[in-house]
Amino acid sequence: MRNPKKAALLVAAMLGFSVGAHAANIDTSKRIHVAMVPKLIGLSVFKANEKGAIEAAKKLNINFLYTGPVTASAQGQVDVFNSLIARRFNVITTTSNNPTELAPALRRAMKMGIKVVSYDSDVAPDARDFFIQNTAYPEFGKALVESVAKYIKPDAKIAILSSTPDATIQNAWIGALKTYMAAHYPKMTIVTTQYGQSSPSQSLTAGLNILQANPDVTGIIAPDGAAEVGAAAAVQKLGLTGKVIVGGCSDPDSIRQYVKAGVIKESPLWDEVKEGELVMYVARLAYNNAIHKNSTFTAGDLGTFTAKDGVIIFSKPLIFNAQNIDQYHF
Amino acid sequence: MKASMTETSGFKTVAPSVKDSRATRRARRETREITLIVAAVVVLLAVGAINHRFVSFENIRFMVLNSVVLSLVALGQTWVIATKGIDLSVAPIMGLTAVVTGLLAQGSGLPLIGAFGIALVIGLVLGTINGLLVARLTIPPIIVTLGTYSIYSGLIFIYSNGTQVDQVPAAYAAFGNGRIAPWLPIPIPVLTLAIVLFLCWFALGYTLFGRAVLAIGNNAVAAYNAGVSVISTQVRVYMISGVLAALAGLVFVCYTGSATVTTGTGDHVELQSIAVALIGGTAIAGGRGNMIGTVLGGLFLSVILTALVFLHVPPIWYSAGEGAMILVTVTLGMRQSRAGKAS
Amino acid sequence: MKEVENTVTARRTGSRFPLDGWERSLLALLVVEIAGFCIGIPGFYDGIGSLLGLTQNFLPFGIVALGLSVVILTGGIDLSVGSMAGLGAIVMAEFWQGLHLSIWLSALLGVGTGAVLGWINGMIITRLNTEPLIATLATSFIYGSVGTALAGENPPAGFPDSFNALGQGEVGGLIPYQLILFVVLAIFFSLLMSRSAYGRKVVMIGYNGEAARYSGMRVPRVICSAYVISGTMAALAGIVLASYYSAVRPDMGDILLLTTITMVVLGGVSIFGGEGRIAGVVMAVLLLGVLRQGMLIAGFSDMVTTMVTGAILLTAIAIRNLVSGRGTGFALLFLRLRRLGGGKVPEAAE
Repeated sequence: MRNPKKAALLVAAMLGFSVGAHAANIDTSKRIHVAMVPKLIGLSVFKANEKGAIEAAKKLNINFLYTGPVTASAQGQVDVFNSLIARRFNVITTTSNNPTELAPALRRAMKMGIKVVSYDSDVAPDARDFFIQNTAYPEFGKALVESVAKYIKPDAKIAILSSTPDATIQNAWIGALKTYMAAHYPKMTIVTTQYGQSSPSQSLTAGLNILQANPDVTGIIAPDGAAEVGAAAAVQKLGLTGKVIVGGCSDPDSIRQYVKAGVIKESPLWDEVKEGELVMYVARLAYNNAIHKNSTFTAGDLGTFTAKDGVIIFSKPLIFNAQNIDQYHF
Repeated sequence: MKASMTETSGFKTVAPSVKDSRATRRARRETREITLIVAAVVVLLAVGAINHRFVSFENIRFMVLNSVVLSLVALGQTWVIATKGIDLSVAPIMGLTAVVTGLLAQGSGLPLIGAFGIALVIGLVLGTINGLLVARLTIPPIIVTLGTYSIYSGLIFIYSNGTQVDQVPAAYAAFGNGRIAPWLPIPIPVLTLAIVLFLCWFALGYTLFGRAVLAIGNNAVAAYNAGVSVISTQVRVYMISGVLAALAGLVFVCYTGSATVTTGTGDHVELQSIAVALIGGTAIAGGRGNMIGTVLGGLFLSVILTALVFLHVPPIWYSAGEGAMILVTVTLGMRQSRAGKAS
Repeated sequence: MKEVENTVTARRTGSRFPLDGWERSLLALLVVEIAGFCIGIPGFYDGIGSLLGLTQNFLPFGIVALGLSVVILTGGIDLSVGSMAGLGAIVMAEFWQGLHLSIWLSALLGVGTGAVLGWINGMIITRLNTEPLIATLATSFIYGSVGTALAGENPPAGFPDSFNALGQGEVGGLIPYQLILFVVLAIFFSLLMSRSAYGRKVVMIGYNGEAARYSGMRVPRVICSAYVISGTMAALAGIVLASYYSAVRPDMGDILLLTTITMVVLGGVSIFGGEGRIAGVVMAVLLLGVLRQGMLIAGFSDMVTTMVTGAILLTAIAIRNLVSGRGTGFALLFLRLRRLGGGKVPEAAE
């Protein structure tokens, strides 16, 4: 038992050195238990986070566990948190189904001395130590608008296809994109907002209905993985490729065929794999008490990040288009 | 279907009692079908008057297409409900088939015919398990399928391990979106549904197996005493339900080109399919099944939900609209059938 | 027709023990389960306080199960419990946030809303003669929409600490308020169903609705009341959840439905009505609740836990059928039909 572990440690250490001197700054002497709890297990986007997290966990001497509920329910996540608390995990990282319901359980965890790092979709600020925001909301709002607005008339009519009416992060993005649109494309109007409930089939039906009921719509912004795929599929099925432009955000694997077909011109996201790595770096640093709510830190070869009131912005939007999409697989 | 005919052909005794009420049953069934058609036409004309695009060929085509997957599941559900049973596990069976066939197609280029084979096997095996638990161990159907619902949905996670279907090969997409012939703009999924509907309609109304199903739903004891083999009929009914749910899963993955672990269960296909069957005039108390009504019910639901979008009803009220529609259709149907009984 | 009632009561009170065989088996299993988890799973037993504290994570299911048991005993089903729980909690939160009522008064109004929603279910079922399954399926869609509309984009959250204690707090740091509430409710329901005339009426209707009608019982009224009880308990569970989360969401009751049906049925209540006792349901609630918490702490994933729950339900009911020797499914149906329509059977057999 012992020797392989030591060997693994040695390899990990060597890897750590091989990626650069930065990793050496992080104290990885004590092996810690870190859990990553997505909204639900079984979706590619979260799986991409896991992929990155596993890589980073090796370097950072982390015993990594990826676990979550089978339905996108807060109750399911809370049950998982409770079990992690009982199992004395050192750090819990999570992307929340909704910001309010998870808070009491996470506060309980913090009271027990467990560090909480949220990523992707935030929880209440007092229920976590750090939040890794995918991209700054105003920038992402801009990217979402530009993914469509560049390719249509400035006075075009736009539809929004989101996940659910109370989805936190989608509402934040929609707010940001409306602000940007009002400032830069004042003549553009949003004629309808529909919801696909994050379900591929309901998103497709909603997409078809939008296009049928609003024939003057020339652009659909769908800031949700299932919604963007549904909207793109609807455009393709109705033979409107090129006439209606779809934008939004989704992982590259699911939209690849639509980007290549020209239904989607650009689609902003961020590198989910690298985000998963950053989550592990922040988890390690938070456990070491090496970062504070307002500080700057280095996360290996990912570069330097700044925490502001506990919020760490991961990156600028990464925009997929027909040229670059084949470089990304997640 | 043929096998069941020959096997149950010895039990002619059940036929007379069914035959007696056949005329009344047919009348009742037709009332429901006419009601649904009239209601759908009224909605079409009313909403079409406000927005003529609602009655455009293209829109009607998609309203029909969007109902295909649910109608396929609901046809299977109709069989089960006709025996006084219920099948909640259709949702994970549909999801499992969509994920398994989709991932195999995406990953190792499984040919479409192979996908049909896999769907058939999944549906048969899981349906048979349901059927055996119901018929052999005499566990109430709602409990059996509640239990297998959890177990089958677990299988989806185990198989997919978190990966999802993002794209299907051209043959699949053609099956899900193509038309029968260039000059005949009927989508292939609609044709599939029509074939399944015809088989179900024929089997329920004109074969001994169908009569055995209705006899069990009417009065299981009487059917048993009359020589209907209750156990094998029940098992077959759950097999049919499983196979149709699996077929729906395959059509789903071909039509949408995507499938995730929440396919089926996330949209509550189990509840929706029960609702559609009941809208169509199948009685939850068993003994009555209306295949054509089920498909019309699925269509009507699709028309209503699309109409809500055209009428600019806020999206949060869509599900309320669906609920209200279920209540109105089913309670009106009850009234009619009671009135029919009285006269 | 009196005869039927007598046989029912005789069967119900025949046992002198407070628990019958099924309930004793469940109790034994529960004891084994808790002991096994305490010994076998590190982190499961962490003082008696934390053990009792575990119940906070699943008792809202139990509260719903108590109300749902009454409906299932009448031979009905209530699929709208989840959306009633969500809507009741949202009504409470909106009264509190929007109209600045006291949180406890708002909670009362929320529970009252549940009663009204249940009454609507009951009226649809009894007046319009709709099957309970379809009626409550339809109203679950409608209540869900109303809940989403009321909750808006940012559903209320952050209730006063005194209210949050209901779901998260303990008396003297040891016994959770939720547990006290559940025990009181469980005793009340147990007495109601086994010792009161009302309870006997409910069981009688579920056992044989026709006979109940002919014996002069006001069947629709009793049935309607069962749905009022179910709605009230669902809304109460919603409010406990709101306190546990210190937040409300329209979809927060969605997960209640399938699990609570499982609990009621595992507790020995026949899904066809007319048979079963609250004591069994209470055992099943604790058994399944502790199982889920224990398995998660042991490191099993949510997926495995869900699958195991399904398997336990099937095995338990299968064993129950084999042991009782007559089954609860079609075998029971046969039995009942034989007893009932004795005339019809030979006729068909000719």
